[in-house]
Amino acid sequence: MHKQLKAHIDRLKAAGATYVDARWYPVEEANYLMMWNGNLKETTSSRESGLGVRVLYKNAWGFSASSDMSNLSTLFDKAFDNASVAAERVTFPVRLAEKDAIQASFKSPNQIDPFGVSLANKIDFLKSMDEKLNQPGVVQRASEMMFVRKQIVFLDSEGSEIEKNIVEVFPSIQVMGIDSTGETHSRKFSPDRLGVTRGWETLDMQLFNENAERIVRELNEVLVADPCPKEDRSVILLPGIMFLQTHETIGHALELDRILGYELAFAGGSFVTLNDFGKLRYGSEKLTARADATLVNSPGSFGYDDDGVPAQNNLLIDKGILVGAITGRQMVEEANAKAKRQIFDGSSGANRATAFYRVPIERMTNINIDPGEDGSLDDIVRNTEKGIILDGDKSWSIGSNREQFHFATEIGWLVDDGKVTKVVKNSTYKGETVKFYNSLSAVGDESTWVVHYVDNCGKGQPNQIMQLGHGVPVCRFDNVRIGE
Amino acid sequence: MKEKILQTLTSLREYACSKGVDAAFLYHEEDSYLMRFANSAISLNTNEHLIRLEITVYEDRRRASYEMITDLNKLDEMKQGVDIAAEMVKYAMPLNYQPSIPHIKENYADVQGFDPELGMMSGEEKLAYFNDATKDLETDKITLSGIFSSGINILAQISTKSEYTQYFQTSDAQVTIVLAHADLKWEVTAEQSAHKKDDLKPEELHAELSFLIDRYKNEPAQQVPVGSYDIVFGAAATAEMISFMNWIGFNGGLMKRGFSFLTEDHVGKKVFSEKFNLMDDPSRLETFPLTRDSMGMKREAFPLFVNGVFQKFTWYQDDADEFGEKPTGHNVPHKSLVLDAGEMDVNSLQDLVKMPKDKDILYIPFLHYMNIVNPSKGLVTASSRFGALLLKKDGSVVVPYNVRVTQSLLDIFGDKVAWMSKQQTVYNTSASYGARNPVAIVLPKFIRVNDLEISHSNSSY
Ligand SMILES: [Zn+2]
Repeated sequence: MHKQLKAHIDRLKAAGATYVDARWYPVEEANYLMMWNGNLKETTSSRESGLGVRVLYKNAWGFSASSDMSNLSTLFDKAFDNASVAAERVTFPVRLAEKDAIQASFKSPNQIDPFGVSLANKIDFLKSMDEKLNQPGVVQRASEMMFVRKQIVFLDSEGSEIEKNIVEVFPSIQVMGIDSTGETHSRKFSPDRLGVTRGWETLDMQLFNENAERIVRELNEVLVADPCPKEDRSVILLPGIMFLQTHETIGHALELDRILGYELAFAGGSFVTLNDFGKLRYGSEKLTARADATLVNSPGSFGYDDDGVPAQNNLLIDKGILVGAITGRQMVEEANAKAKRQIFDGSSGANRATAFYRVPIERMTNINIDPGEDGSLDDIVRNTEKGIILDGDKSWSIGSNREQFHFATEIGWLVDDGKVTKVVKNSTYKGETVKFYNSLSAVGDESTWVVHYVDNCGKGQPNQIMQLGHGVPVCRFDNVRIGE
Repeated sequence: MKEKILQTLTSLREYACSKGVDAAFLYHEEDSYLMRFANSAISLNTNEHLIRLEITVYEDRRRASYEMITDLNKLDEMKQGVDIAAEMVKYAMPLNYQPSIPHIKENYADVQGFDPELGMMSGEEKLAYFNDATKDLETDKITLSGIFSSGINILAQISTKSEYTQYFQTSDAQVTIVLAHADLKWEVTAEQSAHKKDDLKPEELHAELSFLIDRYKNEPAQQVPVGSYDIVFGAAATAEMISFMNWIGFNGGLMKRGFSFLTEDHVGKKVFSEKFNLMDDPSRLETFPLTRDSMGMKREAFPLFVNGVFQKFTWYQDDADEFGEKPTGHNVPHKSLVLDAGEMDVNSLQDLVKMPKDKDILYIPFLHYMNIVNPSKGLVTASSRFGALLLKKDGSVVVPYNVRVTQSLLDIFGDKVAWMSKQQTVYNTSASYGARNPVAIVLPKFIRVNDLEISHSNSSY
């Protein structure tokens, strides 16, 4: 198949294409199981394979994909034809940043292949979790596990040949209860990065048992709690919500295609302009953020992106100052040209597609916040006069330029004079991105830093759901409006 | 093509029967085209032709599914799928209720919503449409973004319960045009939904966009104070809220699981304004309707709210099985929601700007990134986007920066509703996640709701 793909790539090059690549998925498999209140609602497996072809012709992109690989000529020609139509309307000629031609492979780390584990074992695990969660106060309980395996072969007209074999494991448990006013509350758990591998070993029974007990206990505390007050407080975000804050207001805001206006018809733009790089005080001096695709063992680490560019670890925000973005080969060239200065040295290797039938776009890798020097969670609480600790994403809504946001969390603990005083329900907080990050007053040390996985980041048209990670510490922000 | 699809399904059924397997087969084929514009250029021109087959196997109370992306020439691969699902079901755990297997009672084909001319539009025609809709509106600073998404969608089904098949074929198009100012960062939009080629009217979008651009060019944007406003929602904003209601409102399964602001006690009670009449009406071709559900049940007009009174919950078959409810014909990928028109003769933005006002009115055409803060209260939050306007009592117009609304759907559609437009429009709510599933809502062009709180107001875009 490699040979045939190469021949078609060469054929389109000879026909005038400036760049061609082919992403062939010999196989992508998934297995999803979900148990709800003791009922095994989903026992689903899936399998797909196919090819996506991307062609750059007369400065415009064309793409075509099909699961039917019996007629490769038609598929390659369709991509070429699509580029020819797109070439009718070009305003900024597409150029691709330099890269090396690479022959390489990447394998995501796992100790026990989840596709080698029997269905019976998987169901036993769910059954055991379901029983564990079936406690007083819990009216709904759900346990689920998702396993994905994909093999991706990438070939391009610049001589790259990369094969990736990736296995993902996403398990979670959740409980829900109803308070005396009839309102539903929930609490959930999904494991953060546990070590250097993420195979079936992620389903660590002891870890799940401990967390099942914890979420049931915390749910019951929320069910009898007072509502979150409506006032200004310091918010202490645990990694279980800090990951999402980072995701929505640093990650998405710093995707270079958004900054350049490529998502205006749907996801939105960014308050960040090209002028801001090197200058904008995005946050306080305590804020250092990076896009680190070299982090060991995360869905945001994939070896090589779908431009064939190797994984990198780049600063996005350095001690509060904006210095970098999430980029692919096309956007860095356009940004440098439009800014009339060299903001970016090259692609940061973050152009990814979610399936063979989607086109790569700028996606988050692992968007991390460096740990700080303000000690443990206990230390931060001790040094907080009037605050609230928040955890567990419940709702998130962000302005179209990522300039402001509103989050609701599953649980809140009020902090007064350095002590946790009580649990509150219906906790929410809101803010304006730059003002919020400039109020960052404490960043937890290494002991608070965890890598949280995300399996449902949506972007683009047609829409693509992507998997990635966020390594984040506990962070405290001051003067934040809560309870609205 | 139809014959080959149905023949394939029949062969799969025969194969399952020969193995003594109870199974249901759902075939989905899409031929999807998307032309995407950004920075006044075509940023992406793509097409996908995908065939998905979902095989669900039943054994007593156990159930397992196998899904594949395949093609019609791979019957053996599909048969293997039956074997895999049949193997999986042995290990599945029995449900505590009896799941229903789809039982189709007669051969049924519905291609009323299919217009080959729309499905097969060429790239050149789509580009010409965009050029017409934005003629003379773009400048060096005002750039064009948007999509022309179109395609053909086929759903076909069979099960081992009978030899009969169901077949549905539709064509659809969704057009979004955004004009944005590169430096000032304001953005305006106009959209169109089509189920046949005649629905595509670029001149209508052109008129809307030119009116908006004139407003934005001439009025500098301002931060409006937070507080209470009388708000006129445009069709996109209202459609978004109705879509959320479809999720955390009248869905019986979610109600039973505590994710709804409606309970069984609300049935027969007045929940919303008496101006609020919402129906699931599969006779409306604009909504890309499914006239049978996947259980083979005939879908008929299904009133959800009559004069604000809640009529009944809708049920997916699996929820109906679990909770012992009667199925309502809602085992479908989407409903055909129609919100009745009102009495107010305000049917265009020009009408709205011109109409005499007793006080200032905030016009919000579009709600961005809506999410559920508290499902039990129907509390949702979202920000305005795409051309909000503050229409002053004295007739002047102020362009506001975006604002945030955090409100309960119970309040928004409750007694605070002042009026609804006399004319309806079709708003295409299709998402491009996963398999193609065209969906649109028919609703009044504008709805005025008095006294709603703005909780945040931006000081810039
Ligand atoms: Zn995301």
